[in-house]
Amino acid sequence: MTASYTVLERGPVDPPDRPDSAAERDMPRPAGTDAVWRGPTYYGRQALKPAPFEANVVGGYVFLAGLSGASALIATVADLSMGRRAEALVRRGRYTAMLAPTLGSALLAYDLHTPERFYNMFRVAKGTSPMSIGTWILMSFSGAASLCAAAQFAADRGVGPARGIARAASLPAALAGAGLATYTAALFAATSTPLWAAAPRALAVRFGSSAIASGAAALWLGERDGGLTRRLETLAAAALAVDLTADAVSALIYRRTGVAPALSGPAGMVEKVLATGLGAALPLGLYAASRLAGHRPTRGQGALAALAVLAGGALLRISMIKAGETSARRPDISFRFMQPDNLPEADPARDRPTIGRG
Amino acid sequence: MNILHMHPRAAEHHQSNLDRLIPDESELTAGVKIEAGRSYGFFTDTTVCIGCKACEVACKEWNNLPADNLGMTGQSFDNTGALSANTWRHVAFVEKSGAGGIRDGVEQPFQSGWLMMSDVCKHCHHAPCMEACPTGALFKTEFDTVVVQQDICNGCGYCVPACPFGVVEVSKLDGKAHKCTLCYDRLKGGLEPACAKSCPTDSIQFGELSDLQERAARRVEDLHARGVPSAYLYGTPGAPGATGGMSHLNAFFLLTDRPEVYNLPSAPTRPSRRVAPSLFSGLATVAGLTLAAAFLFAESERRP
Repeated sequence: MTASYTVLERGPVDPPDRPDSAAERDMPRPAGTDAVWRGPTYYGRQALKPAPFEANVVGGYVFLAGLSGASALIATVADLSMGRRAEALVRRGRYTAMLAPTLGSALLAYDLHTPERFYNMFRVAKGTSPMSIGTWILMSFSGAASLCAAAQFAADRGVGPARGIARAASLPAALAGAGLATYTAALFAATSTPLWAAAPRALAVRFGSSAIASGAAALWLGERDGGLTRRLETLAAAALAVDLTADAVSALIYRRTGVAPALSGPAGMVEKVLATGLGAALPLGLYAASRLAGHRPTRGQGALAALAVLAGGALLRISMIKAGETSARRPDISFRFMQPDNLPEADPARDRPTIGRG
Repeated sequence: MNILHMHPRAAEHHQSNLDRLIPDESELTAGVKIEAGRSYGFFTDTTVCIGCKACEVACKEWNNLPADNLGMTGQSFDNTGALSANTWRHVAFVEKSGAGGIRDGVEQPFQSGWLMMSDVCKHCHHAPCMEACPTGALFKTEFDTVVVQQDICNGCGYCVPACPFGVVEVSKLDGKAHKCTLCYDRLKGGLEPACAKSCPTDSIQFGELSDLQERAARRVEDLHARGVPSAYLYGTPGAPGATGGMSHLNAFFLLTDRPEVYNLPSAPTRPSRRVAPSLFSGLATVAGLTLAAAFLFAESERRP
């Protein structure tokens, strides 16, 4: 008889060497000197389970969702305010918006543990579940953005009414795009994973502004018109400034709520050095320096800045997913985070005296 | 109802409802009648737990759950480790005496220095896993318990980080989320859950939630009167574990030490409360930057 599941055999193997053994499973890395919960834990075991997401796959989707949503938004705004003068930019924006419906959706289905049942996402619509909200945002965005891109394709080949259709479809695409670029922050914030849950608003501001910066940077890469590149640079710089401000605010919140140590590992280094430093501060500095010096950045400098913004946007998502997993695995972080002083102001349990009387 | 050709012996039963001549098993074993539309749950009184793990075994047997591991943890008698996709009851062992290298001079008047607790899915009133589930696979049953429908779940895994107690897990064996069902199949058949039935000390009590909460409050008073001032409830309305909009837990506990000692959080929160703040902050940011973009694109060309 064959068992339908893997049967682990008893063998003379030290528990830590065997994957999934009780000793090794769920064990966090040893708490560093920055341990924040000094009270008891249960043998240092994790109290929460980390999300079973593949960080690169889900992080990649979140990045593409932001990039596509922002591209659709910027293309629509450029089309409405500049019309034919921004034609090339609008075209590229509408095509770039197809990244989330195509590659992004594939990444999402790939990350399911039972991918052949992906269609069960369409059974319900739930306001309490950002994943359900996001499913429907992605659906509506896919419909509108695909129609818009197809009409653009037809219009470029001389089909008469297609230009009007593209413009009409670009409005719902832009609206859904705004949701697509930001709902992913709510997706992470509405969990019990401490790092994600600690700063719901600041995380959303970061994701939103970083998405706009990514969209502007991606559209910059193909732009030749001097006036439009300057506008895209200014837009990217403004978004990066918002991103860095939200990053500073979230760092304060992380320290106050006790989840900051989750960012002390390799993922946190990636977040701080690559995503925030090289992906946001460096390009912003470049844009600001060239503006102060009174001349435009060279094509090479501009491309470097744009690529840094794009890479930083992707790394921000991936590193936040990985660092979030660390925060769920470490009981010193999760127990510190789930203390009454971190409850919302209005919660009556916030000021409750110490537990028990013993 | 006039029954023709009724056997005369049937009239000797004083119960007029013939359906109820044979009581449900739960009425005999737990003293509770299981009816749809009422709230049921567990009251786990850790002060009488003896750590026999009969609940773990009964759960595995009834639900046909595969073995998780056959290793030793070196952590007291707890070789189970944690709740998982295949382990829906987990007995935690805490050795208080000698912890931290200091042997307590004075021991508690019960259980010496041992703390044992049979952990389980809390079947939260506002279940975060259920609120997070994008497919509707997780649902509230007619008994006010939370169950994953295995034929719906597509293994997105979003319920896993949603749970503030680290209960739900996606199985590597079948790619679906699994957790305690509070023996949904048994409740439907009028049987109390397997773990509660097997518990030899009645540490795990199954019943209607309001009854259990009353019973638990009396037990805490009793323990306080008998010299255990540290006893308190975890997961009843207003108590630790039912904070941050969680209302109450259908499976709640009587504990005698800080929740963290038992690997439970002091003040969990309901994650769905963070959806609106996060969503609207993000949308406001994007709206602001879009407005900035509109101004940028609309401004007339100053220089080439």
